[in-house]
Amino acid sequence: MNDVAVSAALLDRKVKTTRAPNEIDFWRGIALVSIFMNHIPGLWYEKFTHKNFGYTDSAELFVLLAGWSLRILVDSQPRSLTPLRLSLRLGGRAVTLYAAQLVITTIAIALTAAAALWLNNALILQWNNTAAVFEEPVSTHIGIVILTHQLGYFDILPLYVVLMMMGPIIGLIYRYIPAALLPLSFAIWAATLTFGVNIPTWPVEGRWYFNPMAWQLIFVTGFVLGGSGPVKSSIERWRMPIRVLGGIIVILGYIGTVQLWFPEPLDVPEPFLFFVADKTFLTPLRYFHALGLVAFFGGSFWLLIKYLRPICRFFSMLGRNSLYVFCIGSLLSLSGQIVRFAIAPSLLIDTIVVIVGVSAMSVTAWVSEWRTRLRD
Amino acid sequence: MAHTSEGLKAGLLVVAALGLGTAWAQLSPAQPPAGTEAASPKDAGGTDPAPAEPSANGVVQHPLSSQCAVPNKEIAAPAPLPAMISKLESGKSLRILAIGSSSTWGVGATSRQKNYPSQLETMLEQSMKDVNIEIVNRGVSGETTETTADRLRTEAVLIKPDLVLWQLGTNDAVQHVDVETFDHTVRKTIKALRRKHIDVVLVGLQYTPTYSRDEHYIAIREALNRIATDLNVLYVKRYAAMEFIARTKANMKVLSDDGFHLNDLGYQCMAEHIAQAVTANLFVRRKKPAS
Repeated sequence: MNDVAVSAALLDRKVKTTRAPNEIDFWRGIALVSIFMNHIPGLWYEKFTHKNFGYTDSAELFVLLAGWSLRILVDSQPRSLTPLRLSLRLGGRAVTLYAAQLVITTIAIALTAAAALWLNNALILQWNNTAAVFEEPVSTHIGIVILTHQLGYFDILPLYVVLMMMGPIIGLIYRYIPAALLPLSFAIWAATLTFGVNIPTWPVEGRWYFNPMAWQLIFVTGFVLGGSGPVKSSIERWRMPIRVLGGIIVILGYIGTVQLWFPEPLDVPEPFLFFVADKTFLTPLRYFHALGLVAFFGGSFWLLIKYLRPICRFFSMLGRNSLYVFCIGSLLSLSGQIVRFAIAPSLLIDTIVVIVGVSAMSVTAWVSEWRTRLRD
Repeated sequence: MAHTSEGLKAGLLVVAALGLGTAWAQLSPAQPPAGTEAASPKDAGGTDPAPAEPSANGVVQHPLSSQCAVPNKEIAAPAPLPAMISKLESGKSLRILAIGSSSTWGVGATSRQKNYPSQLETMLEQSMKDVNIEIVNRGVSGETTETTADRLRTEAVLIKPDLVLWQLGTNDAVQHVDVETFDHTVRKTIKALRRKHIDVVLVGLQYTPTYSRDEHYIAIREALNRIATDLNVLYVKRYAAMEFIARTKANMKVLSDDGFHLNDLGYQCMAEHIAQAVTANLFVRRKKPAS
């Protein structure tokens, strides 16, 4: 093969290895940028993220899309694949995510320590639940490895790890008794909310910020919505009424949030978790608001790509490389917190933080795709 | 505080499933007996001697050790604890939720058993014989009041405490949280807890010379004073008490090496001051029936 032919083949592969912009990647890209901004408390631009316009934030979107992607992966596996091979294939992702959690946690600890040294301020060492690392290193190192110690804002990947570990179980239930999947998920969620159970943290006494037993519901919901089946068929049949219902939920969510209608946990009846807007337990208010958003905005991608093509391509690129972008984004958020602490916050500083952050996230996505092409 | 092994086991399950080691369980530091350096009555040298007689509900006012001795007025003004009193009259157990930030978790202490909730548990058990006292620690370092208040409102329903010890204000002052927002959050949360018949004790800001003249630090302290007076809530003036110790016992080291957090002795004093304030208000009840 001459050089021209090699180049042509590479070019051909290049086209193949980069997915075309699509709805899942686009919304995942939006979620990644929102998460980056939401993890810098007080950032001026944070007020434009969708958590200020309803009862949910990007976490729900992110986890729902993770379930959706798992369904696409499951559907792409041949039916002849043995249950063991299917389980291994689906479970492998959990190990990758676990490794990513350990790496970003380690870097976050180093960033915090470096900031404390740089600014000569020991108080920084206690930010984001980091104090235990320096105060009680023996048990905290164990806690980090077994995921019972999670730094503030570095707590969604542990949820993701558990959900992906459940991937093989979800895949097998879907293969053999698909109709049982959503009811079973609902039952586990309802029991979790009724009894208020959660995974304890250690050595800092508390509970997981994202309770996997509650959050599995939105993951499974994403899985069910991600492919064909009775639920998807019903949605197709009732498309317009569902979109209208979604619109009503979105509007009510907006009014409720703006008017600060948040039920008081200490005042509502038991079991109280069914009546409040609690993120840890993914309470009904949050779950149904997330569904409302999906019902209202889902399927609108064709409209967006028609009129906002460059933006769609940009966010899709981020979404295609979500793990790398998420990891870098998390570390950039922490860096943003440090910068805003070191230099008095202002609109200019916040603008620089956002521009640098989003640019670094896009470079990460671009490099990731470039590497993939090189491998070909 | 039987939480340690529970958390470790849960985590081990996660990792075991990933095939990454299970032998860590043996390394889990078991919850040791709650031995603290709490003052024994023998070395109590407080400026306000404890009453010799227990109150009608069997409570003895907790004495202060000589190191931690501070006049009563520097610690707290009297305020009612109706839920605690009624629980003591009807039962033999008390559940206390200690929530807050690094001072609750125990940054600066040599071990978790030296943090203030652990030391306080022993002190209260000495003052309330035959009462089973459980203190649940929910301290998260670096947290500001708004985030803690969110956790508190959920934890209070899940844990169902008789008393909440809410250590607050330091991070809000250091991170320049708006005083009005702080004030609103604290008042709203206290009122909600009271509607649920849960007593609240506010535990104030950390004393540190670094922030003694900081305007925002002073503003947050003043806000807490106002809230305590307006809502008639027991407020342990940690800053004033520790400042008194720093002023009168210049050679005594109560801060850790970072110059900001307490050391073991500092946490002992913090626990003693809270124990004294709580038991004093349970004791007062015999003479002044709650209105």
